[in-house]
This record gives sequence, structure tokens and C-alpha cells, in this order.
Amino acid sequence: MKTNRLRSIGAVAILAALAVAAEPARAAGFAIFEQGTKAMGLGGAFTAQADDPAGLYHNVGGLAFQRGTRAELGTTFVFLGDSKFSGAAPFPGAGATGDQTNSVKALLHAYVAQPISPKWSFGLAVNNPFGLATEWDDPDTWSGRFISEFAELRSFDIAGNFGVLATEDLGIGFGVIWRGSDVVLKRRSAAVNPFNFQVVEVAKVRLESDVDWGLGWNVGILHKACKWFQWGLSYRSKIAVDYSGTARLEQVATGDPVFDAIVAATQPFGQDIPIETRIEFPATASLGAAFTLREDLVLETDVNWAGWNSFDELAITAPTEPGLNATIPENWRSVMSYRAGLRYDLSKTSQLRFGAYYDETPQPTASTSPLLPDASRWGYSFGYGHRWTRVSLDLAVLYVDFLKRTVTDSRDGFYGSYENATWLFGATLGF
Amino acid sequence: MIRTTRSIVPALVLALSAATAQAAADLTRYVAVGDTLTAAYTNGGLVDVVQENSFPALLHRQATGSTTFEQPLVSAPGIPHLWTLDSLVPVVINTHDGEATGAPQNLALPRPYDNLAVPGAKAHDVVATTSSPSNPLVGLVLRGLGTQLAQAASLDPTFATIWIGNNDVLPAAVSGVVIDGVTLTTKAVFEPDFRTIVDTLSANGARLAVGTIPDVTLIPYVTTLPRFVVNPQTGEPILGQDGTPVPLVGPDGPLESGDFVLLSASTHLKQGYGLPQGICPIAACPPLTNGDVLSAGEVAAIRARTSELNGVITGLAAAGSFAVVDLNRTMADVAAHGITLGGVDFDAGFLTGGIFGYDGVHLTPFGYATVANEFIAAINRTFGNAIPLVDMTPFMFEGLPDFGGAPDGTVTANFRMSPEAVSALFRAIDVPTDLAGSGGTQRPRKPARVRKLPPTKPTAPWRR
Repeated sequence: MKTNRLRSIGAVAILAALAVAAEPARAAGFAIFEQGTKAMGLGGAFTAQADDPAGLYHNVGGLAFQRGTRAELGTTFVFLGDSKFSGAAPFPGAGATGDQTNSVKALLHAYVAQPISPKWSFGLAVNNPFGLATEWDDPDTWSGRFISEFAELRSFDIAGNFGVLATEDLGIGFGVIWRGSDVVLKRRSAAVNPFNFQVVEVAKVRLESDVDWGLGWNVGILHKACKWFQWGLSYRSKIAVDYSGTARLEQVATGDPVFDAIVAATQPFGQDIPIETRIEFPATASLGAAFTLREDLVLETDVNWAGWNSFDELAITAPTEPGLNATIPENWRSVMSYRAGLRYDLSKTSQLRFGAYYDETPQPTASTSPLLPDASRWGYSFGYGHRWTRVSLDLAVLYVDFLKRTVTDSRDGFYGSYENATWLFGATLGF
Repeated sequence: MIRTTRSIVPALVLALSAATAQAAADLTRYVAVGDTLTAAYTNGGLVDVVQENSFPALLHRQATGSTTFEQPLVSAPGIPHLWTLDSLVPVVINTHDGEATGAPQNLALPRPYDNLAVPGAKAHDVVATTSSPSNPLVGLVLRGLGTQLAQAASLDPTFATIWIGNNDVLPAAVSGVVIDGVTLTTKAVFEPDFRTIVDTLSANGARLAVGTIPDVTLIPYVTTLPRFVVNPQTGEPILGQDGTPVPLVGPDGPLESGDFVLLSASTHLKQGYGLPQGICPIAACPPLTNGDVLSAGEVAAIRARTSELNGVITGLAAAGSFAVVDLNRTMADVAAHGITLGGVDFDAGFLTGGIFGYDGVHLTPFGYATVANEFIAAINRTFGNAIPLVDMTPFMFEGLPDFGGAPDGTVTANFRMSPEAVSALFRAIDVPTDLAGSGGTQRPRKPARVRKLPPTKPTAPWRR
């Protein structure tokens, strides 16, 4: 029975790995902090507790305290639709607007924690800690189409971890992270028609990578200092992924056959052009402190750091078409987020959770663009959990309110304001 | 104690006064003085669809919301007839010589224009020129009512823009001949004229915004043609035995890094000038002439004089607390990095860059709108105005109308710039007539025959 249970859990984990729907970044940059529903209900303040298998993401040190085989399978639904752009001079001008496509995205996460000795435990985690998806309505007329009409970055981590009880109060965890990721970018290309100096659309451009892989590691400590206080510290290394893929240009007729012929003669239309790029996903660190205010009431506060200064540029190279090489300066900065979560035990089997956080954007204003219009944000969450004999269910809702981002200094010459708000709903089954 | 308090109060008042001295500029009565760039001269002429979006017109519109800004408008196809691009490969620019031109549309205005910029004007012309037998555009703008400066002052402006000096250095660049005092105005001549302009226009308290002179060696007229021998079939440089491109031969020998071949050299290049021995198909090809080439030394002289004159401009602006629009820096930025708007790239490239027109010297409507935003930014920065920037969208996505006209014998194929185009350009920017055209040595050549522009129809009643 135990073997069958593990096999079914493994099958679920593989299924989760294959379902890697992208979603717009919910944590700052294109990080996704919502990797477990219980933690989501607590505003992500979970580093000092990490007392369920999702702790494999928040603090692998909590793995050392797992007793018995435990597994979780969950999903987070992200409702996208309230994302708007309002233009400003010099381009695209006041009155120009844009809306991102309404959609619902689903993220999956799966965790297994298995003690292997009185002191040692093993854990397997599959989740999606990074991702982005921006898709603008009416791409044929969207004023930002020459920068981006569609952008999607998908990732999934498979992490194998070990936890060890250094003492009965101190757990240490460590492990290896294997990250797979792919990228799709779509935009239009324009040129100045010299016969009348009119800017005309001349091509559709699609860049698509294979699923490529990078390797990293993580480490964590969880210390139950006393009955009413425990703290945790976790670190996940940066991971570089070298992507390879293809770019394809499809010509768009301008209505001027003479100019179209000249453009056709100078561009590699209709070919799959090999391209390469590299993204360095940032290192992250979290420090959390949990206070048992009462037997049924625990407050945790966390501070997180993300080393986004590793994302200083995006270099795209086309080995067979050097004219398509481009280096896009990003100049992101490392940032902090601040979280607080409160959990209240209604009974021995059910729990209410409340949380809030503030997350800084690492993206400078000059890099803010239709490809990824990031902003600092506030999050407010509520959750509920119930445990039966062999199964548990966690539910949570999170509202993310992005600060209005006004771009007055733009790398792409695209000025205006972005406004965004998102709802997330999470559900996780525990076994 | 009382004495100390009394000494502090005036200081505080002075401090407050200083803080409020730069109140917002009032553009209610705005007048512009300048040259082709202020007049919105493009593709060889003036035409209303471009003039209506000259940088002064845009600045006035953005600042006041009013479209009433009087200019010497000209109907299509312009005066002179605007050039057209008849072919890109090969490049064929049609100057439409001899074809019917447009007509002045605002001659009857009973007062000076708000935009008094005269194509071809130098700083001295602003204060001294009332007419010109060789440049009919002077009469189009000034109409015998006095100099640019006199007319501007008569409007009692509350605000004025001054962008002048471009033609004080440009003739050296486009003629390829640097003659101090002839193709390069000296500081000794420029400074008193510019001071007179500034003092006159600000006499009644008008605020001023002054533009610096761009580096005219960065324009496509100078930078487009390579200094190497190019295979006409492939467009690629011909490589020598050492694997490096073979340089063309100029008046002083093989062209070196820092030397430029002007667009006007097209005629000579077609005739085989500048080909080195071994590539020349005949016994010996003549070298490119002094007028075909802008040497590194000439470039340095032009840049030094430009810097000197800009020192005059910025010094007087600082003394008067006027806004400085550093178009010298703007031009350098454009030449180095181009402009990106909405992911669309513009640059200083000839024909395809979108900023410079067919003569490789003057701007497109997009270029003039960019200049307007530079002026707006400087005025807002200096005077605390909140003038909204010009929306560049129509200047990107609405092209110029077709000024086609009938193709005729003046169309020259396979040249980047015909002799007729060069002559017309030189007339527009008032290059000395003995430097117009091609040929000659380092010394001034015999005067070339200058073709006169056809008379406007009907005969302008404003000519006296």
C-alpha cells in the first residue's frame, strides 16, 4: 500500500512537471512566490514555519522536521484581465490605450517528503517559481506591437532535497534544483519608407526557444528556539539557463510593391534562424521569525531578498545572421519584499490564515515596457485549512494590487502608465 | 542686533525674488527667428503641409492650444518644387527643375509673420538682410518689410526662439572648402550680430530660448558615402592585398580615417574620379577634388568653429537666464544612438533613417517635431512651464503627400545627388556661388554658372 501510494504520488509529480502553464509574474520581476496554498494564505510568510511539504520551496530546513510520508498536490488559478496601459507623449500619445488579454492560468505544484532515517528525510519538489505571460489585445493595432505583442516565459523546477535534524530543535536542509524553461516572444517590425518617410510595418517576428535546463542549489535552516519563537533562513542560488531556439520573420505587405521588394531582398524572411540567449534567474534569500502568541495563534514576519542585479541585460545572438544580434539593457536591481502572516487554529483540525506583503519591483522605469510592465505591489490574502485523518485541504485567495507605473524615461521610447490588479485562488490536497 | 535683522530681511527678499524670477514663459506673442531649420525647409523647398508643423508652430500649439500662428505658407508642390525619390535602387532623386512650383498662401498678412525664419540666413542676415537677388525665399518671408530682427521686434513679443548660426558653418561642410570668413563665419562677426539679436528681442522683457549649432559634419550629406572603393555590383568595399578596403584618392592622396566623401561627389565618382591606380580602367583617374572631400583637418576646423560660436550662444543665454536648447548635443546623440520610439528606430542615415530629407542636410517632419520637443523640454526645465510634449505618432505613421510632378529631362539616374540638386541645395543655404558645383583645387575656383529658380506664378506682388 505504501509503495502504491508513493507511485501514485510520483505520477502526480510528473504530471505537474508537464503542466507548466505560464502566468504573469505575481512576485516582483518574473518570480512567482505562490508555491503552496497554506503559505499563500499566510502572505508567503512561511520561512520560519515550513511545516508542510510546500516548505521544500520556502525553507528546505523544515524538511528535517517532517514525520511520516507526506505529499501535496495543488494548483493556483490566476485570473488575468485587469491590466491596462494609457499612453503619453511623445509616443504613443495621450489617448492611446492597451489592454492585456483576459485569461485564467493554472499553476501546479507537487511535493513529497519522506523520512529515510530518524534524523534524515528526503524531499522532492516540482513547482514553477518563475514565469511571465503578457499578451496585448488587438495586436494589429496595439501601439506597443513593435516592442512586444506576446511574451511568455515558462519554467519548472525539479528539486531533490535532504533534511537533517542537527539537534532536536535545529533542522538543516539542502538540495539540488534542476530548472527547465522556455521562452516565446512575438512582436512586429517596422521601417521608414523613404518614398514618403512613413513608418510602416514590414514584418512579424517570432522568437521561440526549446526547453533548456539549468542547475542550482538551495539550503535552509529552521530553528525552533523555544516554545513561542522559531526562525528560519533559506537561500536558493541563481540559476543560468542557456536557451537555444529559432527566430522567424514573416513579411507584411506595406501596399508599396517597390518598397516591399526592397525589404524582401534585405531580410531573411520565411527562414528558421537559429538564436541563442541566456537568462540568469536570481538568487533568493528569506529570513523569517514566527511568534506563538497563543497556543492557537501564530504570527510570522518574513523579509525576502531577490538578487535581480544578475539580470543586467538580455543578449540575443543569431550565429548565422549576425545582423539580428541584439543586446537589450535591463539593469534590474536587487530588491526586498516584506511579509506578515497570521494563523489562527479554529480547532485541532481547522485553521484560518491571513496575510499581507509588499514586494518591490526590481525593474527600473527605463526598462518597463509592454514585454513585462512590472511594478511594486501589495498583496492581501486569506486562507483556510482542514485536516482529516489521512487527507488535508488548503484553500486560499490572494489579491495583488500593483502600484501604478508611469514611464517617463523609456529605453524603448514608449511612454505612459500601466495599471494592474490580479486575483489568485489556490487549492492544495495533502496526503 | 536690529542691524543684523535688517540685513537678513533684504537677503531673504532677494532669495525669494531669485526663486520667483524664472516665472513661466508667456508664449502669447511668440516670434521665431532663424533659418531653413526654423522655416521647416525639407526636401529642397517650403510647403505648407510641412510648414504647419514647423517646430515654432508645434511649440506655439502645444503651449497655447491655438493653431493660429502666422507663417509664409506655400502651397504644394512647394517653392522650390519639393524633391521626390523616384527610385531607391538605384537612388534617383528628382529635383523637378523647371516644373511649376507652389504659390505663397499668406502674402496678404498685414503684419510680420510669427515665424520669420528665412532659408539660408546667417546671424548677420537676421540683423541686416532685407532682400536677396539670388534667394527668392528671402522675399517670400520678409516681403520688403524690414529685416527678420526688425520685424520680430515690431511684434513686441513676450517670447522668442532664436536658432541661428547653422549657415555660419554649414557652407564649409557642404562645399568641402573651409575658408575662414567665407564658408566659416568668424566669431568676431558672429558675436556682435547674435548679441544684437538677443538684446533686441529681450529688450521688453521677452523670454528667449536659443538653440545651439549642431555639428554639421554629422549630417548624411557628409557621412553617407564611404571613403573606400565600392564594387558597384555588390555594394561591398573592394579589398586590397592586405585585406583592408582600398581607399579612394582625394586631392591630397589616399583618403584616411576621418576624411569624408560628400554626397555632391556622386557625379565625379560616377566618372571614375578617385579610383587608385590598378583599379582605374584608364591610365590615370583624376583624384577627387577638394570640393568632393571633407578632410579630417577641415572637419576639425568646422567643429572648432562650431564650438566657438556655441560658446557665444550659451554665454549670452546664461547672462540673460534664457533657455538653452542644446541641439549640438542632440545631434551628437542622434548620430551615435539614433532615436527609438515605440520600438521603431530612427537614425541619421540617408533616405532610410527618417530624420533627414533627400538633400542630406535638412530635416523631415519627424525631425522637426523632435526639435520642437527639445525646445519644449528646455523651456519647461528653465522657466517652469508645463508645456506638453508633441505627440510623435502622426509624424511617424502619416507620410508626406506625393509631390511627384512630371518626370522630365532633369531626372538623372544612377547618381546619389545630381549637379542640379547640389546647386539647388547651395542656393538654399547660401553657399558662395564660386564654390557651387564641382571641380577646382584648394583655391577658390572660377564662379560656376548658377541656374536661377523659375519665377513663381503669379508674379509675387510683394516683390519691389
